[in-house]
Amino acid sequence: MSEHTVVGQTVARVDAVEKVTGAAQYGADVHPPGMLYGKIVRSKHAHANILGIDTTEAEKLPGVKAIITQDDVPSGRRVFATDKVLYLGEPLAAVAATDPDVAEEAAELIKIDYEVLPVVQDVMEAIQPSAPRLHGDDTKDGPNRREIATQIRRLSRDKENDHSNEISKLESELDNYPDEVYYNISAESHSEAGDVEKGFAESDVVVEDTYVIPRVHQTYMEPHVSVASADSSGKITVWASTQGPFAIRSGIAGTLGIPLTQINVIGTTMGGGFGGRFGVIITHVPAVLLSQKTGRPVRVQMTREEEFTDGRPAPGCVIKLKTGATKDGHILARQALAFWDSGSVSGASIGSTIRVRGVYKIPNLKVDAYGVHTNKSGTAAYRAPGAPQAIFAGESQLDEIAERIGMDPVEFRLMNMREEGDPVPAGASEPKVGYKETLQAVADAAGWWDREAGENQGWGVAVGDWTNGCGPGGVYVSVHEDGSVRIFHGSMDITGTDTAISQIIAEILTVPYESVTIRRGDTDSAPYSTGSGGSVVTFTMGNTAKLAAEDAHQRVLELASERLNMNVDNLELRDGAVHVVSADPPKSISLGELAAYSLSTTGGPIVGKGSFARQPSTPALAAQIAKVEVDPGTGRTRVLKLVASQDVGFAINPMAVEGQIEGGTVQGYAWAMMEEMQYGDDGNINPGFVDYRVPTSADLPTVESVIVEVPAPNGPYGAKGVGEPPITPTLATMANAVKDAIGVRITELPIKPERVVDALKSNGH
Amino acid sequence: MAKHHVNLKVNGDEHDLLIEPRKTLLAVLRDTVGLTGTKEGCSTGDCGACTVIVDGKAVTSCMVLAVTASGKEITTIEGLASDGELHPVQQAFINTGGYQCGFCTPGFIMASKALIDENPDRSEEEFRHALGGNICRCTGYTKILEAVLKAAEEVSATA
Ligand code: FES
Ligand code: FES
Repeated sequence: MSEHTVVGQTVARVDAVEKVTGAAQYGADVHPPGMLYGKIVRSKHAHANILGIDTTEAEKLPGVKAIITQDDVPSGRRVFATDKVLYLGEPLAAVAATDPDVAEEAAELIKIDYEVLPVVQDVMEAIQPSAPRLHGDDTKDGPNRREIATQIRRLSRDKENDHSNEISKLESELDNYPDEVYYNISAESHSEAGDVEKGFAESDVVVEDTYVIPRVHQTYMEPHVSVASADSSGKITVWASTQGPFAIRSGIAGTLGIPLTQINVIGTTMGGGFGGRFGVIITHVPAVLLSQKTGRPVRVQMTREEEFTDGRPAPGCVIKLKTGATKDGHILARQALAFWDSGSVSGASIGSTIRVRGVYKIPNLKVDAYGVHTNKSGTAAYRAPGAPQAIFAGESQLDEIAERIGMDPVEFRLMNMREEGDPVPAGASEPKVGYKETLQAVADAAGWWDREAGENQGWGVAVGDWTNGCGPGGVYVSVHEDGSVRIFHGSMDITGTDTAISQIIAEILTVPYESVTIRRGDTDSAPYSTGSGGSVVTFTMGNTAKLAAEDAHQRVLELASERLNMNVDNLELRDGAVHVVSADPPKSISLGELAAYSLSTTGGPIVGKGSFARQPSTPALAAQIAKVEVDPGTGRTRVLKLVASQDVGFAINPMAVEGQIEGGTVQGYAWAMMEEMQYGDDGNINPGFVDYRVPTSADLPTVESVIVEVPAPNGPYGAKGVGEPPITPTLATMANAVKDAIGVRITELPIKPERVVDALKSNGH
Repeated sequence: MAKHHVNLKVNGDEHDLLIEPRKTLLAVLRDTVGLTGTKEGCSTGDCGACTVIVDGKAVTSCMVLAVTASGKEITTIEGLASDGELHPVQQAFINTGGYQCGFCTPGFIMASKALIDENPDRSEEEFRHALGGNICRCTGYTKILEAVLKAAEEVSATA
């Protein structure tokens, strides 16, 4: 990699100074003149019929400029609840006032008449016939029933032959599975490879367990916010703290029935997102409606409490998992049945259940997954959506197998990992990925092979995989008369991506990183860009930036050829100037001179364009090892060591890559050990940082990160998306370490002190 | 609601303001004085994003009523760099990669500055505990601690 001069180097980020001086403009920092403050009126019950909404008292409050309900949504698309609420905090109305405290007072004065209904919060209760049905009689069949029903359908489609006997036999068989009828199902996903029953039958060891993973909040530090301004011509401007301005534009257009061209979304600096900052209804649509009604700009900003009651957190789930292996360590079969807590709407990442497969050769695999409705807000993505949950189950159970057959957990994993060329489902074969290299790297760095543990201390290892997404993007590059380079694009900088794009362009145009500046446009001006989620940005925009820089590079050579009267083949761009190859005496012309010259040519200024949509990436692996000490008296777990390695393909900015690994690992630690949104009959009961504890610097030691680089063929310089993988293995890493320390397997997260004490007790300690 | 006369000295500038007694220092700094570098992450005193320095002490400005800060010296993130030169803590956050989204950064920098001013000679463990009131969701704290230790070292070397 030494042939590169800018990529692969740690550089200060492009936004460094504005971020440390308070100059960066986040969503809530936008304050257009005449701005009003919006407040959303929310349900105070988790499940209730709405009998009436009375706004008269609130309207009388001085300073109140508008109150809106679903009646004020001309498109009729659901923004506010009308006759029924399905969770605590569900929006019913919104207020705009001249002062935030007045808006809040007005919201309190709106009288809602409720008829409270029975509530269901637990997925395993929600699927029972006795559970209240959130969306009418929303019933779906369980796996066996489903297979039989499919057979019946198939047989009855065959009109040529008479299958009535077979069909009635099958129909009576359905009665054999009464407890497999699940209720409140929002979605389902099924897949199968090989024959799991055969695989289990041939296994020497079969382990079966139920894993329970709680719902957790992304807890980006900046609560949701947007400022909307509708002018008299109907043009709408929205300053949105979002991962995807273009998605917000189309979301507003679709929800309110407004043409795209009438909406301009300006993405502000974003205070974290982690997948949770794409939703359009949350604040953006209410802000637009309030601005349309008042003719003034309106800011709608959520409080932290509102984030917990009406954010879109990561779904919790229950996964029943069974794994079979031979006594010499070959995994033969794995089967999962998962119920994902989708909340009041569908959308939980149930398809991720397939990640119980991990990166192992498992010839027989069967996965059935259901999304289940409960009286909670809907869910959204959180850093590798669905993977941490599925991988927690998969990697916890691997350790149980390893223990039963007496194999070292690292060796057991290394032995079963897929290799380049191995078949994978969907027909393709395994690409070159650093699975083993990454696991080996973390084992070496952590001192796994000669690990020592004192009393109540233990070591845990786990791996997690994720493949970055890819999406459309556009980038322009201009070269100016002073030799500086300006980049223009439309994707949100998600913790360092603008810097990576700048590095790539500096590399190709052979200029110092410092001569490159980058500007993000709004949706009115910038070329379309995919949302900044799914670890797509460096992969997508990096490739797009490369194309744009190569286009500019081409134009630079053309200009030089014209100017120097030389064939392009005899020219090369290096160190910010075009040189005549092997000229004696040396002859060159700088980029600045060429840019100045371009202004009076027929071809015109140097503008490079890059436009890119899709390329498959290769999976990335994160491997982690923790050493912990558990106090059996209090149940408290202390982390003594946390080492995280990751195959990143190629680290464009190593310091930023380490930051992603460290941050993701700590989020995984938090999910394992402390975070959990708790619900009662009245909805979420821990909507604040006192009761929903997130880690602080006092909770953890230094996270040691290890970068492994096995290049991705389609990535810019071999880079893969790095943001999501590091959260995927940590849940299991911690559970495996705790098991090693105290000999008790904890299958329900978080591993909080009282749970450890209970587990020790029930194990006879 | 009746308004009160308040005199706030922010980053050396005096502001004579008429404000409602229910307004927090955070709200007044952001909405009235127009200094939006100080962030609101929870408004319950639990995240540290709103940390400013009042008479030399780091405080969470969401928990302070503005009327009670009248006449006191207030420093916000905007007042830290002098003559275009970043404060050592700010520079250290850049050099070590101690921020990602940057939302917690003003609060962390102000809290760290107050700690370092008080006593730069603390161990990593001591800084980890002393900064326990500030939440960062992005970095996992490793690089923040590196920044704080580096800045502390620099300050104590020049002291
Ligand atoms: S906003 Fe003041 S502590 Fe969180
Ligand atoms: S850098 Fe994002 S919260 Fe700290």
